Amino acid sequence: MVSQQILGIENITMQFGGLAALKDVSFSVERGEIKAVIGPNGAGKTTLFDILTGILQPTAGNVLLKGESVVGMRPDQITARGMIRTFQTIQLFEGMTVIENAMVGCQSRTHYGFIANGLRLPTAGREEARILKTARSALEDVGLETRAVETGTNLPYGQQRMLELARAISSEPDILLLDEPAAGLNQYETGELSSILTRFRDRGLTILIVEHDMGLVMDISDEVVVLDYGEIIARGTPDDVQNDPKVIEAYLGIEAD
Amino acid sequence: MGRADDRQRILLISSAIFIVLVVMLTLSLKGSTGFQWILSGLTVGSIYALIAMGFSVIYSSTRVINFAQGEFSMLGGMLMYSISVKGGVPPWLGFILSVLIVTLIGAGLERAAIHPLKEQSVIAVIIVTIGLAIFLRALAKWIWGTDPVKIAAFSGEKARVIWGASIVPQSFWVFGFTVVAVVLVFMFFNRTLVGKGIRAAAMNKDAASLVGVSSSTSSLLAWTIAAALGASAGIVIAPINFAAYNVGIMLGLKGFTAAVLGGLGSFPGAVAGGLVLGVLEMITAGVVPSGYKDAVAFVILILVLLIRPQGLLGKPEDVKV
Amino acid sequence: MDSKVEKPALGEKRDYRNLLILTIFILLIPLWASPLPGDVLHLDIVNIMVLAGVYACAVIGLNLLVGYAGQISLGHAAFFGVGAYTTAILTCHYSWFPTWLGVLVGAALAGVIGWLVGVPVLRLKGNYLAMATLGLGEIAFILFTQLKGLTGGTVGIPQGIKVKVGEIPALSVFGFRFDTDIKFFFLVWAIVMLLMLLNINVIRSRVGRGLRALHSSEVAAEAMGVNTARYKTQVFVLSAVLAGLGGALFAHFERYISPESFTFSLSILFITMVVVGGMGNLWGGVVGVIVLTFLPQVIQAMPQWIPGLPSNLTNFSNYTLVLYGILLVIFMMFMPSGIAAGLSRGVYLGEKQFKRMRDRVRARKYEGH
Repeated sequence: MVSQQILGIENITMQFGGLAALKDVSFSVERGEIKAVIGPNGAGKTTLFDILTGILQPTAGNVLLKGESVVGMRPDQITARGMIRTFQTIQLFEGMTVIENAMVGCQSRTHYGFIANGLRLPTAGREEARILKTARSALEDVGLETRAVETGTNLPYGQQRMLELARAISSEPDILLLDEPAAGLNQYETGELSSILTRFRDRGLTILIVEHDMGLVMDISDEVVVLDYGEIIARGTPDDVQNDPKVIEAYLGIEAD
Repeated sequence: MGRADDRQRILLISSAIFIVLVVMLTLSLKGSTGFQWILSGLTVGSIYALIAMGFSVIYSSTRVINFAQGEFSMLGGMLMYSISVKGGVPPWLGFILSVLIVTLIGAGLERAAIHPLKEQSVIAVIIVTIGLAIFLRALAKWIWGTDPVKIAAFSGEKARVIWGASIVPQSFWVFGFTVVAVVLVFMFFNRTLVGKGIRAAAMNKDAASLVGVSSSTSSLLAWTIAAALGASAGIVIAPINFAAYNVGIMLGLKGFTAAVLGGLGSFPGAVAGGLVLGVLEMITAGVVPSGYKDAVAFVILILVLLIRPQGLLGKPEDVKV
Repeated sequence: MDSKVEKPALGEKRDYRNLLILTIFILLIPLWASPLPGDVLHLDIVNIMVLAGVYACAVIGLNLLVGYAGQISLGHAAFFGVGAYTTAILTCHYSWFPTWLGVLVGAALAGVIGWLVGVPVLRLKGNYLAMATLGLGEIAFILFTQLKGLTGGTVGIPQGIKVKVGEIPALSVFGFRFDTDIKFFFLVWAIVMLLMLLNINVIRSRVGRGLRALHSSEVAAEAMGVNTARYKTQVFVLSAVLAGLGGALFAHFERYISPESFTFSLSILFITMVVVGGMGNLWGGVVGVIVLTFLPQVIQAMPQWIPGLPSNLTNFSNYTLVLYGILLVIFMMFMPSGIAAGLSRGVYLGEKQFKRMRDRVRARKYEGH
């Protein structure tokens, strides 16, 4: 059973001076599941992601990726171990085409450097071909293959989000961390996203998603974890959580303000 | 996080102790020669402090490092020469006119070349200010040629002797001017609404519009003040050094080092940095072959940037990636 | 569908073709450079091109650092100087030392120094990185003038050093001496074209994408697995090696060096060439170098085209400096993609036009049947 766990989050606490952004957060993500983290704004969801990916160091607690503790590692080291995230605000690379953006996703799985590429050694050439192939299939997954040579930042918003997703998929991750992937998407686009993510899950990818769009969450999640003020207040299937009085209070309580 | 703070505190205290030790060693080992070095060092240091203040004015208002700062001082001196020495205009009037012209140039350059670059990267602005510096220097070379020119000291040339060390009267003008400048600039940026608003704007662009200070006005104001400061400093300095089309380079570099040493954006820091740099330079020149004198500034610059980028009196901010 | 993604996105075949055309054009220069236009314009084109060539080595590397990786160095003249002095010292003090080895050692030493200073300094950002590199460049200059025993001080090599050598030995490879302008021209530009080949390969590879990614957003690049610190260091070292190479070649061409050749002004000249040529543009380095090496020479030669101009208008050094300053400012403000972008757009439009005409001719032929 333990070998099925891709991500283990153990007692993560994050203090910023006197403020506790996260308090003793623990849960795990199993292989092939889609788990959603929801909660009112400011509940600590993005902070959690920053900790998981090495951008922030937690005040206390541990993060296990495929059984290995990754606290203290640099972001690119964690990426190399198979955990990729997308950002809440789009961080596409300026001046690079759609396909080039997707190809950067392959950086962590490839390694030939200045010399091998400068001299166009056959091994580097083969690696390039593999990168191109992986990136193209990632673009096909999200429906962007026809716009491969356009400049990434010229795409309409919804497709920029898809490109970010493609870029993440190119890295052939074990687990994908999606930070509000549906933000700014319309109904139709969210539906597209939903089927794309389900398709990924069926191919064996594990997904941890932070999201506000309840429709998407209910649609695709196997399990939902609810954060409020940095603490887990509920967890369970989408239906369980939807009807949990604590969750309702957390959301309504904020609205009543 | 606490450990880093402790480390910085230790660094600061050890630097202060280091400086005091160096000074004391110099005095005890070299007696009055040592005192001469220190006195000359303070004089030169005040010069650096004045230039450093110009950097800090622009930096604290706009986060831009103006590579052309030294050229403002150079132009001040050269214009003073043309207007008063060659043109025969009385010095007080020459001073005002020269400063005015350079101030206008500074404001003009800001509007023409800096303001339009608002959205561009830091590198772009750096390159533009370098381009401006080259342009001003080349203009000066074209107008005045390469020979240095002499400007008369304000109150005579006769050196006084104090405790075995000689010092020219102009040095007192420099000291005095430095004090006045620091007080004025400090009061402006810390006691007036406009000044405080400008500093706030530099730290947080959104808050700035709330305070009612636009970053565009801040920038213009900062460059105007820095140009005026630089020009007047250049005129006060000129009788001690000399004035020529290329003095701006070294003045700028040393002044910048002083600003970084003291803390970019801090005016007391500019003074502290300038004086420390000047004294260390003079002592080094006395001890080591004089060609290495200039290296002191650059070594200090690099050490500060690597070890404590916020300098002696500055606040830590996002210096590193 | 396949080929559509591969070629335009990566563009490699087009780049190689352009490189080939450029190489042929340049290698033919000695044929047409004089009598016309060299003599008509009073320009020693081959000689100027040699200087452009050695500078190009440095600028191609600097373009990778500044244009692609988005860093900055205001002290690259130091690396140029290290390369020059290393080979000069080795070949003058030890007459048996092969010159070609001197060049390689010079470039390598520049790279080592680049690594030693780069690792600590590249942690700094923007402004601070600029000032640190400026400081390092100045320190190097001071060392060049002060280590008199080694470098001959302000007098330089070979006049300033104890060993009685007439001039720095000419570059010789396997007995073939490069002692004339023409021979050096071919050597230097062969090297530059080779460097351009490497440049194209690097930029069109994952390394190039990694550099551009880190320029655009370091956070996102790191998140994608780009080890930004390592890339920055590597590209810095590479640019140092290339600058050292250029400097070493410079030493064996001029046969005399002094600290005056490696000042802050040279560092700025390099940056100007990168900016004017086109930052982050494949051809930016070469274009910038050629334009800015010819510009002062053209200005200096102009009075000879128009007899009778008053003398203080013709003192070229006044004009050049003012011009550099203005160019830097204007290009940075309005044309950061430099001249090369304009040129490549021109080439692209020309290509489109050509294809359109060709298609029209073909269509007409077809209809004729």
